[in-house]
Amino acid sequence: MSADGNPALEAIALRRDLPGDPPATLVADASLSIERGSFTTIIGPSGCGKSSLLYMLGLIDRPTGGTLLVEGRDVSGMDGDARAQLRLERFGFVFQFHFLLPEFSALENVMLPIRRLGRLAPADGKARAMDLLRATGLDGKEHKTPDRLSGGERQRVAIARALANDPALILGDEPTGNLDSHNSQRVVELLKALAHEEGRAVVCVTHDLSIADASDVRISMLDGRVRSIERGKGNSAP
Amino acid sequence: MTLGNPALLLHIALRHLTARRRQTLVAVLGVAVGVGFFLAVSAMMVGSQNDFISKLIDAAPHIIISDELRSPPEQPGLRAFSEGAVELRGYKRRTEVRGIRGWPAIIATADALPGAISSPSLSGGITLKLGGHDEALTIIGVEPELESQISSIDDYLREGRLHNLETTQGGIIIGEEMATRLGVRMGDVVAATSAAGNSRSLRIVGLFKRGQSQLGSTTGYVLLREAQSLLGRPFIINRIGIRLSDPYAAETIASGLEQRFGYKAESWQERSADFLSLLVTRNVIMYSVVSAILLVASFGIYTVVSNSVSDKRRDIAIMRSIGFSQADLQLIFVAEGLILAIIGVLFGWALGYGLMTILGSLDFPIAGETQHIPLDRSPRQYAIAAAASLTAGVVAAWLPARKAARVDPVDILRGAI
Ligand SMILES: Nc1ncnc2c1ncn2[C@@H]1O[C@H](COP(=O)(O)OP(=O)(O)O)[C@@H](O)[C@H]1O
Ligand SMILES: [Mg+2]
Repeated sequence: MSADGNPALEAIALRRDLPGDPPATLVADASLSIERGSFTTIIGPSGCGKSSLLYMLGLIDRPTGGTLLVEGRDVSGMDGDARAQLRLERFGFVFQFHFLLPEFSALENVMLPIRRLGRLAPADGKARAMDLLRATGLDGKEHKTPDRLSGGERQRVAIARALANDPALILGDEPTGNLDSHNSQRVVELLKALAHEEGRAVVCVTHDLSIADASDVRISMLDGRVRSIERGKGNSAP
Repeated sequence: MTLGNPALLLHIALRHLTARRRQTLVAVLGVAVGVGFFLAVSAMMVGSQNDFISKLIDAAPHIIISDELRSPPEQPGLRAFSEGAVELRGYKRRTEVRGIRGWPAIIATADALPGAISSPSLSGGITLKLGGHDEALTIIGVEPELESQISSIDDYLREGRLHNLETTQGGIIIGEEMATRLGVRMGDVVAATSAAGNSRSLRIVGLFKRGQSQLGSTTGYVLLREAQSLLGRPFIINRIGIRLSDPYAAETIASGLEQRFGYKAESWQERSADFLSLLVTRNVIMYSVVSAILLVASFGIYTVVSNSVSDKRRDIAIMRSIGFSQADLQLIFVAEGLILAIIGVLFGWALGYGLMTILGSLDFPIAGETQHIPLDRSPRQYAIAAAASLTAGVVAAWLPARKAARVDPVDILRGAI
């Protein structure tokens, strides 16, 4: 990780308009900063623009206005390939639904980003994927395809895959939305540890207020706007 | 454009295909059947064409110089008064020359061409008689040593050899039909009479196979000396056959000889112009059929890849979010088309090979002989089939693959379809 003092993510007046008749604004004037080592949640009623904001922060969607800095770097002018490369190297995503490739085993799913990046020799890449699966409690399930894993297990495979290239940023869109409370708890602990113990910036959209309460920073949204940014228990903010 | 490891992209493409076995199988079969039948059909078409051309080329000399003038000189009267007030019609033009004058010079010129062999001959009409039965026959007097080098007469003989003309005094070779009509067999003697009033006894030393239209049932071969004396035209020849090392040079060489010596020099191409243009039509038909087959095969590939793209929109979005580029996605789906085409080609090759083996083993009795279908089994046809199928596969996969590259991951990820 870079040693400079830049925040992991910085958004200035970020905006997303949808063309159409009438044009719609999904996100307006979102300014925020995400620190390394912090666990941030985004909350708000359904349809208020949380996912839209998260996808812009994760370079999956392009803002129609404002500025976004990733680790101090302005990404506004980047073309699609450069954004894809940055996602590959610096970001990990976890979605509400597991979004694993159905024809590939847990291990192969986790190896996908590693092989695409191509920096590790095949054997090393495999060893790393095995380590990640072990760390997420999936010992012995490496060769199962997603349809033979439980919901909690799938989501943990997805987290392992998000971690494959050792990203600085982990973004989750309701990663516990589909899990029972036990599994949900486990996933949240995992994500928190990634922030607090490994120094990554973790941002999660969630409906679960108990998760939001346990986070370091809580961003509330309403009607496409950021309404408030609150520091939580302050147990780990740098 | 950034691209991931090709092995990874190929791996993903293969998984997509193995996950939809039935469709994959249908598309592969489409290509395989197309390729297989193309190979079988083209082997027959090209094979029969080659067989046909080699018969055209080899049955008769590559160039035949005859004692005809192609554009006869104008009558002296017309030459002298070309703008005269009196129109002259019905003049007899000198279209026929009795024998080729200065033929040794022509032969010397032809023989000087690298690898060329020329053979002089004299033909004329005679009558064969046996027991009150008469048959008209055109005899061709040849030097067997030379003639056997410029045409494949020996191949058409049921019995005897051209060389027998030299070893047997007064030998003649006639067709089986003629022999049947006269009621003679090998070794029998017939009486021959010419318009010049000469007559002698000739012994049958060879028989052409029945149904050789190239030679005709009313043609016979004798020694050149024999023909000259029987026809009463000593030292005269009226035809020179030339065989070249490169048959395809015949047209140019023939026109050169004709210009230089004035006698009509006809190449095998000119002789068979009608047939050759027929072959062009045949080829156009064949390649149209092949294109249609490949078009149908590429529909199968298009369907599979197109369905694969629609089914995999979610996976496409996932891969894009992970950091796969648009080019990666496009290549994955183009690779699917290419894989289908490659497997199809391999099966198609096997199918084509099998079909050709079956076709090659069939026997056809034609004119009392067992004949095989002439087949061209050259690797060229395999290469053409493969190149065409692979191109069709890539083209058919291209459009859906472009659609895959343009999938916007946002809606899919948000919607969690
Ligand atoms: N492609 C689209 N066209 C029109 N409206 C859209 C589109 N995508 C999202 N929306 C709308 O934009 C708003 C924000 O969506 P989203 O960011 O997914 O909300 P959240 O994640 O907070 O539930 C919602 O009202 C949604 O219906
Ligand atoms: Mg949402």
